[in-house]
Amino acid sequence: MRARYGASPLHLLAHLAVLPLVAWALLQVVDRPDAMRILLWLAVSAVVHDFVLLPFYSVLDRAGQLAAPRPAVNYVRVPALLSGLLLLVFLPAISGKGEPSFQRTSGLTYEGYLGRWLLITAVLFAISGAVYLVRGTK
Amino acid sequence: MTPPGPFRPTFWRSPLRGPWLTALLGSVLLVLVAVVAATGFVSHAAYQPDLPGNAIVDPARDLPLNFVWPTGFTYLYAVTQGLHVNVGLVAIPFLLAKLWSVIPRLFVWPPAASPAQALERLSIGLLVGSSVFEFVTGVMNVQYWYGFRFNFVVAHYYGAIVFVASLLLHIALKMPVIVRAYRERDAARTDLVPVAPAAPTISRRGLFAVVGAGSAALLLANVGETVGGPLRRLSLLAPRRQVIGPGPNDFQVNRTAGGAGVTAAMTGPDYRLALRFEGREVTLTRDELLAMDQQTATLPIACVEGWTTTQKWTGVRLSELARIAGAEGAGTALVRSLQPRGALRLASLRAGQLRDPDALLALKVNGADLSPDHGYPARIIVPALPGVHNTKWVGGIEFS
Repeated sequence: MRARYGASPLHLLAHLAVLPLVAWALLQVVDRPDAMRILLWLAVSAVVHDFVLLPFYSVLDRAGQLAAPRPAVNYVRVPALLSGLLLLVFLPAISGKGEPSFQRTSGLTYEGYLGRWLLITAVLFAISGAVYLVRGTK
Repeated sequence: MTPPGPFRPTFWRSPLRGPWLTALLGSVLLVLVAVVAATGFVSHAAYQPDLPGNAIVDPARDLPLNFVWPTGFTYLYAVTQGLHVNVGLVAIPFLLAKLWSVIPRLFVWPPAASPAQALERLSIGLLVGSSVFEFVTGVMNVQYWYGFRFNFVVAHYYGAIVFVASLLLHIALKMPVIVRAYRERDAARTDLVPVAPAAPTISRRGLFAVVGAGSAALLLANVGETVGGPLRRLSLLAPRRQVIGPGPNDFQVNRTAGGAGVTAAMTGPDYRLALRFEGREVTLTRDELLAMDQQTATLPIACVEGWTTTQKWTGVRLSELARIAGAEGAGTALVRSLQPRGALRLASLRAGQLRDPDALLALKVNGADLSPDHGYPARIIVPALPGVHNTKWVGGIEFS
């Protein structure tokens, strides 16, 4: 068994216990009118991080390392990462993509979110610069 | 022959990667995700999908995980969804770091050396896909970006089942590896340890600090809408950070009267509340409701999106309305909104929710008449009830 299958029988049994549940969950959506979009988003979700987001920030990080060799790189890296994370997560509000539905249902807008994100970014880099200055001149 | 680039082990050079780092990141992520998943399924049950009008996921296609949702702890739903959304945000940097730590595994060559490995890679694909899907759809939904154009509740629910199932499988399969990683640190040489490590630019401790700072930033940017008070304004990117004003009706509106299609004609002098039980109907004007015994209760409205607002409500007890309808022993009540269209204009309450002394058909808030956007002429307010089930613009209550 181990030679042919490549792992212990428990490995196979664990998969056979779980994969039918996954199949059941997917079966509950396949005949819905929006099924294709759900499955497409699920499939894209499986690759978007590994083939888009990670290569994208890795290239940025490499560029940062060239621009600011270590140990200075972390003074750029950390505020950039925090700012990027906030942008990634609050993109619907910052970009205003969520605004039409937000305004239609609740009467509110996303005014000022882009501005506040820019200010947060400025403050993060300013703090990092100040820390670099203090530590660098010691 | 191994293809070039990321398929070569020498391509991955970060000296931070290794089984111990992955195990540690995975352990933190597991605790966070356990909270998010548990609160998600609890919230699903809090909607009491077994009652008429409540289900969004077809009950015939649901798991039998429902239970009677209590009223005892007023902030139960606020805590449930506050945790779901805020811990979900905290988990995001850990998820990204965890995925970064194992990225070389995506490019192993050959792609599958055995049937076991092929099967496990399929389950990892399901795990990565469903986890990213759950976080992306959740984050989009709380900010009203429905660009995915599918039913969020249904997709997020079944996506969660795929996520939890594939996560349990992953933990079960990796348990020996995790234990070894903790015991032996990187003496447990696996393919995660780089064969040609670059000089470090940051320590592992530093990496954890940065990931933790990312979590703290996301939490601070949002948590004010959950906690309320002065913190609401300080959460600079929270979708529900707006402090609307000092007036009695100046607090968060989920759906405006205009957005729901409720007009002044529907709520004017011709307004009647219809109570029905076993074919009999009692109708009441708003003045008649105001002339009845009034009860005041300070209760939160807690949205599934994680924001909360606590106000002082005054109105008639639902148990009193049941008595007037001759339905004192009613098991459920189906509440109907005047809202002419859209989801959630019908919601059912259980016997325990009808009997709670703080369960009200509210007519006033903070001493003033409800504003049109807060449900004038009358709205439901029940302790620990999911926000949208506190039906606004109530036109009828059907006891059974």
